[in-house]
Order: sequence, then C-alpha cells, then structure tokens
Amino acid sequence: MFLRTVYNTIFRRSSAFALSILVGAVFFERAFDQGGTALFESMNKGKLWKDIKDDFEKNDNGGGDDDE
Amino acid sequence: MAALRNGVSHCRTFLRVYPNVTTPKANMSAFAKLSSGKKMILSSLGALTAAGVGLVAALEMSVRADEEHTLHSPKYPWSHSGTFAAFDHRSIRRGFQVYKQVCAACHSMDYLAFRNLVDVCYSEKEARVLAEDVQIEDGPDDEGNMFMRPGKLSDYFPKPYPNEEAARAANNGAYPPDLSYIALARHGSENYIFSILTGYCDPPAGIELREGLAYNPYFPGGSIGMAQQLYDGGVEYDDGTYASRSQMAKDVSVFLRWAAEPEHDQRKRMGLKALMVLGLLISVSYYLKRHKWSVLKSRKLAYVPRRR
Amino acid sequence: MMSVTARSGLLAQYLSASSQVVATQLRPTVCLAAPLSSKITLAPRKENLTTESLKQLVPKCGNVRVSSGPHGPMQVRYAHTDIQYPDFSDYRRQPVSDPKTSSEPSSVSRRAFTYAMVGASGVVGAYAAKNIVQELLSTMSASADVLALAKVEVDLKTIAEGKSICVKWRGKPLFVRHRTGDEIETEKGVDVESLRHKEHDDERVKRPEWLILIGVCTHLGCVPIAHAGEYGGYFCPCHGSHYDTSGRIRKGPAPENLEVPEYTFSDDTTVVVG
Repeated sequence: MFLRTVYNTIFRRSSAFALSILVGAVFFERAFDQGGTALFESMNKGKLWKDIKDDFEKNDNGGGDDDE
Repeated sequence: MAALRNGVSHCRTFLRVYPNVTTPKANMSAFAKLSSGKKMILSSLGALTAAGVGLVAALEMSVRADEEHTLHSPKYPWSHSGTFAAFDHRSIRRGFQVYKQVCAACHSMDYLAFRNLVDVCYSEKEARVLAEDVQIEDGPDDEGNMFMRPGKLSDYFPKPYPNEEAARAANNGAYPPDLSYIALARHGSENYIFSILTGYCDPPAGIELREGLAYNPYFPGGSIGMAQQLYDGGVEYDDGTYASRSQMAKDVSVFLRWAAEPEHDQRKRMGLKALMVLGLLISVSYYLKRHKWSVLKSRKLAYVPRRR
Repeated sequence: MMSVTARSGLLAQYLSASSQVVATQLRPTVCLAAPLSSKITLAPRKENLTTESLKQLVPKCGNVRVSSGPHGPMQVRYAHTDIQYPDFSDYRRQPVSDPKTSSEPSSVSRRAFTYAMVGASGVVGAYAAKNIVQELLSTMSASADVLALAKVEVDLKTIAEGKSICVKWRGKPLFVRHRTGDEIETEKGVDVESLRHKEHDDERVKRPEWLILIGVCTHLGCVPIAHAGEYGGYFCPCHGSHYDTSGRIRKGPAPENLEVPEYTFSDDTTVVVG
C-alpha cells in the first residue's frame, strides 16, 4: 500500500520527516517561483518588456551592426 | 489507584454506545434556535444597517466641491489598474518619447537614470545610444577642469535648467515641477495627468486670465502657467502609432506612473505569489487547528462523584 | 478522539436521574424523623438522589431497568438517553464516522494524511520564511545606483601599443596598459624565485597584451608614475619603489605587487572592471 510505504519511510522518524520537509522546500521554491511568474506573465501577456522586446531589438541589432 | 480505576469504569458506563439507541443531539448555534420571524427581523436589520452605512459613505464621497472652478479628474480604465495587471511597456516606451520630445524642454526628471530604462522599455544597446546623445559634465580632470563627455547608462536624465531660479525666470515665474514622482505627488495620479494634458479649453464667461496663463478646469484654481503642449501629430513614435493628443497624454501618463513607481510590476508579481502562499498556509493551518482542537471539541463530560 | 473529563459540575444538571422508588421491607429509602419525641431533633440529612446513590440500590447484575416485588412495583431507571450532547460527526473522518466499526484498518492512512498536512505547512512555511529573511537582508545590500557606478568600461581601441591610460574607478586610479611584445617576453622570462612577492606574469594578466592594475603603491598609497623607474614599468615618486611592466615590486620599500582588480573582456575592444 502506497500510504503505508510513505508513512513508514518518511513520517515515522522525525529526522526523515524534517529532512524531507527541507528537500521539499527546495523543490517547492523552484516550482512555485516559476509557476507564479508564469501565471503573472500569462495574465499580462503582450504588455511586458519580454513580450515586446523582439520588435525593437531586431531593428536595434541591424542598426548596431551597421555602425560598427 | 483503585479509585482511579473505579472512576474509569464509571466513565465507560456513560460513554458506552448502546446499539439501536438513537441519541438526541443538541444544536449548538444560537441563531438556529431562533424562530423564523426573529431570524427575519435580525437579517433585515443587518441588511438595513449595511445599506445605511453605504448610503452615508456614498453621500460623503459624491461631492467634493472644495475649490471653485476645479474639476476632479474621472477615473480612466488604465490597463495597469487591475490587482495583478502590469504596465503596458509599449506605452511606457512611447511615453518616454513624449517626455523626451515635449516635456523635457521644461521639466526635469532628477531621479531617473538611463539605466532605469533598460529592460523596461529599451534594450541595453538602445539605452546606451540614448545616453550617448547627451553631453554630461564630468570631472575634474588631471588639470582640475570640468569637461563634457557623452552620457553613460549610469547618468541621470539631463536637466533643462541649472537651478530653480533659472527655471522660474524662463517660465514667467512659474516653476515646472520635477516629474520623477509627480504621479504620486498629485491627487488623482495618472488620471490627473491625463486630464490636465487633455483638458485645456477657453475660459468660461466671467473669468479673466492674467497674461501668459492658460485655462484648465482640472488645475486647482483654473489658471495654469503651462500652455497646452500636446497637439495631434506633435511627436513621432518609433513604433508607428499615430500620435493623437489623447494617445500622447495616455502614454506620458503611463510613463510618469512608471517613473514614480518603477517597482510596480515586481510588486504585483510578489503580491500574487504572497496571496497564493498565504492561501496555502491558511488552508493548511485551518486543517491543523481542527486537528489539534478535535480532542477538546468532541469531549463528553460526565460527573462521577467519589465513592462513599 | 473521545475523551472524558470526570466530575464536571457543569454538566451535572443534565445528568438528571429520574427515579420512582417505593420502599420495600428490604431497604427503606427515606427515613423520617419521629415527631413523637419531645426533644428537638434535627432532620436527618436528605439523601441525594444521584446516579451514584441510585446505583447502589440496584442489584449488581448489569443493565437492569425494571423489577417488581411482592409489595408493589419497584423501579430504578437510569435516564441516560435523556442527555443531550453535541453532534460530533463533524469531527470524525469518513472511515471512522460509524462508532461501531473498528478504527484500526484506516489508522495509517488517517495519520499519513495528517502528517502530510504538517509537512506541507512546513514546506510552505519554510518557503515564506526564507523569502522574508532574504528580502530583509537584501535591503542591506548595495543599491542600484551604487552598483551602476561600481563598474567602469574602458574602450581599448583608443590605447595604442606601448601606451597606458589612467581612469578613475571607485575613487582610485586604474592603470590600463597596452604592453609591447618585448615587454611581455621580458616579464614572462623573469625568474619567479628572485622576486619579493612571487607571482608569475601569467597569474597577473588575462590577455598578455593588456595589463590592468589599481594604481595605488602598496607601500604608503601614493600613485605611481607609468613608464618610469629602472624596470620600465611604474615608479612611485614618494619613496622610490620600482615596479616592472607586470606591476611587480622589484626595488624599493613596497612589500607587495600592485593589485590586479577583477575584470572581464566583454568583447575584443572593451574591458569591464569591477
């Protein structure tokens, strides 16, 4: 049974429990930060600099190359 | 020890659940016990109170005719006015062009550097080019003289006047305010800026303007030192948008709002994450509270006197 | 999840025991004081009709409710079914909502769920605490305008071979020197063991033709003069320290070589110091 395995491996000993919380926090931080940023950017699609910079940098690179 | 065991055995008598005996259950809510008429009275009383408070608040807010001849700017539907809505960065870019080509002739922006534009509305390369167009005084050099050099990203926007006295002298005694934080410094923020820029009109009958002043109903007092600056097609946008008067006013309002609050997007992103994390924490702690309290909440109390 | 607190006076009023007791010859329930006596006697203590006292009237043979004797009916009745107590089903989980079933088979899954919730609160709490601490600490770091001035870009195109320039960086002079082939060869050939501060030329430059130094003499902090001194590198006019074209101390009182700052070449013609 899945729950019994989880219970016996992680929850039974406090050391394993604390360790798994710390490891979980590391992964949670990555996932949550990326997820939150992705959510914010999808809510504001088309308005942020990262969405519009391609329009301007194309021209900019062309102009810059000509100068040099 | 024996007494204790005795007590425990008594408890068992009370706690035993007999099969086929339905136990009556008490209702613990005070409200549910009330008759339906009383419920109705209480509910309508609450609704009436809320409505009354709302009415008083609405009456209080509706009219603020504090100064004569002054209109309050309406609230415009800005694309960044939602709780999680970021600035429209295209608009910031156009607004900077309006500032640079129109406003910068008289208004300084002391607290904004060219590096602030990077990755907001200009790429680093473009911002460098913008900065190099400006001559900045630097020094002293080896001989102790000040010299001019092309600007760098770390330089601040150039000032139109060296000091306030020069600015007043050039503008009929009126001092064009620094625009760095103007959106936070005026009641109505970007709505006020938009209204001021688009609100110029002829003075109504009976109002005499002094020489050199313009009439603007949104400016406190009505007569403003700044003449109308924005006219259709007055600015050339690099993205090809037609520069109508309201377009320019909108863009420069967004730009000034960004300048006053450059952390705006970051703040709203953090707010979104904070609400998500706090939502998780609240639901988890609600569960844990119920878990910890369930022992106390589901007690049966029984009276067991000491055996004589 | 059930517990009992014994002897709570609060609930005593609900524990009303109703009894209908008729005295038999076996045992009188109530003794009245004899009114015939001329003496003043106190009324005897009234017996409390509690569950406990009533229970003692009952033969110890379980849940007896009704019995009858020759002199009429005698009934002692416990009225526990009259007790009202709250509905606890809200506090029971699905597998144990029925009090008559065993809680054992579901105990692991129930405990695992609670531990998972504790763990989740730990994970989210650790994330929140880490971010709060990080934000607080980041207020102590250098602000953006300071960081913007902390780097200096030097355009290398303007420096001809054999020349050197001096720019200001964080309030200190910064030497940028375009070394000639001869100078590079001489410095690479120097025996490291013969030096006061033993550093090979390769450790001091990233690209051999560009030497970048902080122009502060390691002796007492004067600014050395470029292209001077016995070794053709730098000469400190204050106390006569001679540095070679790798900025190493060769003669004079200075204890160490000239300091090399952190720098990177952003492209072929630009170096970013800082």
